[in-house]
Amino acid sequence: MTGIVIEGVARTFGTVRAVDGVNLTIGEGEFFTLLGPSGCGKTTLLRMIAGFCDLDAGQIRFGTKRIDTLPAHTRDIGMVFQNYAVFPNLAVAGNVAYGLKARKVSAAEVAHRVEEALSLVQLGGYGERWPHQLSGGQLQRVAIARALVIRPQVLLFDEPLSNLDARLRVSMRAEIRELQKSLGITAIYVTHDQEEAMSVSDRIALMQSGKLEQVGAPAEIYRNPASRFAAEFMGTTNLLEPKVLGLSGAAMISLRPEALRLDAEAPAGWPRLSGVVAHVEILGPITRFDVRLGDGSLIRVASLDEPHRTLATGAQVTLAYDRARVTVLP
Amino acid sequence: MILTIPHQQRLPLAIAALGFLFLGLFLLYPLFNVFSASVLDGEGEKFTFANYVKILGRPFYRGAVANTLMIGVVATLTTIVVSVPFAFALARLPVPGKAAIIALAAMPLVLPSFVSAYAIVLLLGRAGVVTQWLNSWGIGFGSIYGAGGIILVYTLTLYPYVLLPTMAGFKAVDVSIEEAAQSLGSSPRRALWTVTLPIVVPSILAGGLLVFIETLENFGVPFVLAEDMPIFAVEAFKLFVGETAPNPSSAGVLGVLLILMTSLVLLIQRRFLANRRFATGARSAPPILKVGLGLRIAATIYCWSVVLLALVPFFAIVVLSFMEFRGPVLHPNFSTANFAALFERSTRPLLNTLMFATLAAIGVTLIGVPIAYVVTRLRSGLAAVLDVLATLPFAVAGTVLAIGFVVSFNSGWLILTGGPFIMVLAYTVRKIPFAVRSSSGILHQIDPSLEEASISLGRSPLQTFGRILVPLMLGGIMSGFVLTWVTIASELSATVVLYSGQWRTLTVVMFQALEGGGGGIATAAASTLIVVTLVPIALLYRLIRRYELAS
Repeated sequence: MTGIVIEGVARTFGTVRAVDGVNLTIGEGEFFTLLGPSGCGKTTLLRMIAGFCDLDAGQIRFGTKRIDTLPAHTRDIGMVFQNYAVFPNLAVAGNVAYGLKARKVSAAEVAHRVEEALSLVQLGGYGERWPHQLSGGQLQRVAIARALVIRPQVLLFDEPLSNLDARLRVSMRAEIRELQKSLGITAIYVTHDQEEAMSVSDRIALMQSGKLEQVGAPAEIYRNPASRFAAEFMGTTNLLEPKVLGLSGAAMISLRPEALRLDAEAPAGWPRLSGVVAHVEILGPITRFDVRLGDGSLIRVASLDEPHRTLATGAQVTLAYDRARVTVLP
Repeated sequence: MILTIPHQQRLPLAIAALGFLFLGLFLLYPLFNVFSASVLDGEGEKFTFANYVKILGRPFYRGAVANTLMIGVVATLTTIVVSVPFAFALARLPVPGKAAIIALAAMPLVLPSFVSAYAIVLLLGRAGVVTQWLNSWGIGFGSIYGAGGIILVYTLTLYPYVLLPTMAGFKAVDVSIEEAAQSLGSSPRRALWTVTLPIVVPSILAGGLLVFIETLENFGVPFVLAEDMPIFAVEAFKLFVGETAPNPSSAGVLGVLLILMTSLVLLIQRRFLANRRFATGARSAPPILKVGLGLRIAATIYCWSVVLLALVPFFAIVVLSFMEFRGPVLHPNFSTANFAALFERSTRPLLNTLMFATLAAIGVTLIGVPIAYVVTRLRSGLAAVLDVLATLPFAVAGTVLAIGFVVSFNSGWLILTGGPFIMVLAYTVRKIPFAVRSSSGILHQIDPSLEEASISLGRSPLQTFGRILVPLMLGGIMSGFVLTWVTIASELSATVVLYSGQWRTLTVVMFQALEGGGGGIATAAASTLIVVTLVPIALLYRLIRRYELAS
C-alpha cells in the first residue's frame, strides 16, 4: 500500500507528444482514474507506471522509491488488461498462481492464497477450469484475482470492462470498487467512459493531448468544469454565448441539460427563455428534448419522466434554468 | 550522454545481435566471398569485370540465362493454369473427398522434386518402362528430356505453392461481395469473373512467384532432365567443380547473376504485392455452389487426376526400387537386391541424412523462433533489417550458398570444409526463412498483453519467453520442425557441393548413382528417402489429430 508520485513525466512518439509533462500525486489507497478520449495519453501514462513504456523525462515514485528506472518485472504491480490476457495454456488456478510462483512462494501457501483470491472474485472452485471454458466476465475475474493475489503495491486497470456487455460492465465496476476499497490497495484505472469513471473513482484526472485537463473528485469536475473540453467530455452540456442568457462577457458558458426545466415544472425565481421544440426523445426514466431559441441557437434539455407532460415537435415552450448551475468557462 | 537501453528492449536486442552475428558469418560473409570471387581474376588478386564479360560473352551461358528464365516463366504459367481451377473447385464446388485431396496435394511440397524427375526418366525416358511398352505397340512420343520434361516435373511438384494460397483466397472472399455484384445486375458467372477472381489475384501471384523462384534455384530437376540444355544452377555447379584456378571466378559470376535474378523477383513481389491484399473480412467460408451433375463429375475427375498424377512418379519409384536392374536397364522381376546394394556398402549415408536433418532442424528452430520473436515484437528499424536478412536465404540458390561456404571456410581461422558441420550450417541458413515466416505467423496471433501480464506478475522477459510464448507456440514449432527436417533430408543442391568422403547423404548416393548409371541404387536411395520423408509427416498428422481430439 503506497502513494504514487508522478513528476514531469513526458514521452514523444515521432512528432506526437503522447504524454506532455504530467504531474500527479495519488494518495495511499486512493482509487484514481485517468479519463479521456482515445489518443489522449492515458494508456501511455499507465504503461509508463507498469514499465512497458519508457519516459523521455520526469520520474515516477511509489512512496519515496523511484520505480521508473526498474525493469517491469520487479515493480510489484498488479495489472488488469483490457483483453484479460489470461494465459490460455494454464488452468485458472495456474493463472492465479503464476505471480506467486515467480515470487517463490511455498506450494502450500500458493494453494491457499489462490483459493482465497478466487473466492474473493466469486470464482471459488473454478481452479481446475480452463480459460476457454469461461465467459468474458469470468475471464476478467480471473485476471483480477491474478493481479490481487500477489498483494501488489499498486493495482493498474487498463480499460478492464470495455470488452464486456453493458449490464455486466455496470455490476463489475461496482465489484472492482468494493474489492479495491476492502483491500486498500492504491489503484489507477484507465477508461474513456465518463460514467464508468464517475462511478468508481475517488478522483479523476481528465486528459487531453497528453496533458492533464482537470484533476478532482468526479462531482467537482462535473459541476465545475474548468474548460470547454471538460464540460463537454463529462456528460452532455449546452455551450452558449453569454448573451443567449442575457448575460455579459466574452467567455463561453456551460449549462447542463438537467439545469433546465419546463416553465410549469420550475421554481418561480428561475430566469425564463422561450423557443420552439425541435426534437423529442422519450428514453424511459428521462426525456430529452431540444428547443430552438429565438436567436436560432439550440438548447438541450433533460428532465425526469412526467406522466402528464406532452411535448410535440413544433410546439411553442417556455424554459426556465437554474442560475446557480451556470458555469462560466475560461 | 550514457546510452541506456530500455529494459523491455534488452532481450529482443540481445537476440537480434546474435541473429545478426550468425547471419553475418554464415550468410553475408559467404555471399560476399562469392561476389568478390566474381570480380577478381583467376589468381584472386586483381579487381576486374573480365569474368562477367567472359561469361556473358559466351552464347552457351547466355543460353543458360534464357533457358532458365523461359522454363521458369512457362512453368509458373502452367502451375497457375492447373491450380486456379483446382483451387476454385476445392473452395466452392461439391467435390467428394476434399480433406484427402488437400492432404495429398500438400505432399509434393515435402517430397524431393528430383526424385519425381528421375521417376519420369525411368517411366518416359529413352529406355523408360512406358516408352518401351508404347514402342512395342508402335506408338512414339517426343522426348521428355529438355525444357518439356523439366516444365512437366515443375508443374507436378510445385503446383501446391499456387493451389494452397489460392484456395485460401477463394475461401476468404466474403459472400456478400458476390451477392452485392449480383444484386447490381451481374450474372453469377460475371460476378465470378469481375469480382471474385480479381480479389484472389494477389494470392495467385504470390504463389506463382514462389514457383518462379523455386524453378530458378532448382538444381536436381534440370540435373536429371536437362541433358545438353544449359541451365543456370547446374552450370554454376559444373563450373565450380571443374574450375582449377584458386579463385572460382566463373562460378562466382553465375552465382551473383542467379542471386540478382531471384532478388529482383522478390523485390518485385515486395514492391507490388505487399500492399495489395484485398481483405474482405469473410466471417465464414462462402457456400458451396449448386452446379449440374456434369460439372460436378468433371471437377471431381480433374481434382483427383492432378493430385494422383503428381504422386504417381513417387509411387513408381517405390515400385521400381523393388525390381531388378542390370546397370541402368530394368527387368520386371521382384528383387530386394537394390536395397542390399545400397546398404551393404554402408548405412552411413542414411545415418548421415538422419543426423544432419535432426541437427539442422534443431538449429533452424533455435535460431528462427527467436528471430521471429524480435521481428514481430521489436518496433525498430533493426527488426525490419533483421527480417530482410532472415528472408535473404530464400533468394539464394543452395548451390550458390554452398559455393560461398566452400570459399569462406576452407582456410583461415574457421575451417569447416570436409567436415559435417559445414553441411549442417548450410542447411540451417537455407531453412531459416521458413522458420521465421511460420513462427512470426504464430506470434502475430499471440496478444502481446499476455507477455506484459507475465512480466508485470514478476517474470523477466526471458522467463516469459520460456514460460508463456514457447508453450503457446509449441504446436507450430513442432510442425515447423518436422517440415524443416523433412526438406533438409532431401536437400540436394547445397549438399552436392559440400559433401565429402564419409559425410555422404542419401541424396548424394542417389546423385552419384545417377551420374554413374546405377539405376538400382538410385531407386533404392530414392524410395528410402521417400520413406524417411513420409514417416515423420505421418507421425505429425497423428499427433495433431490426437491433440485436436483431446481439446
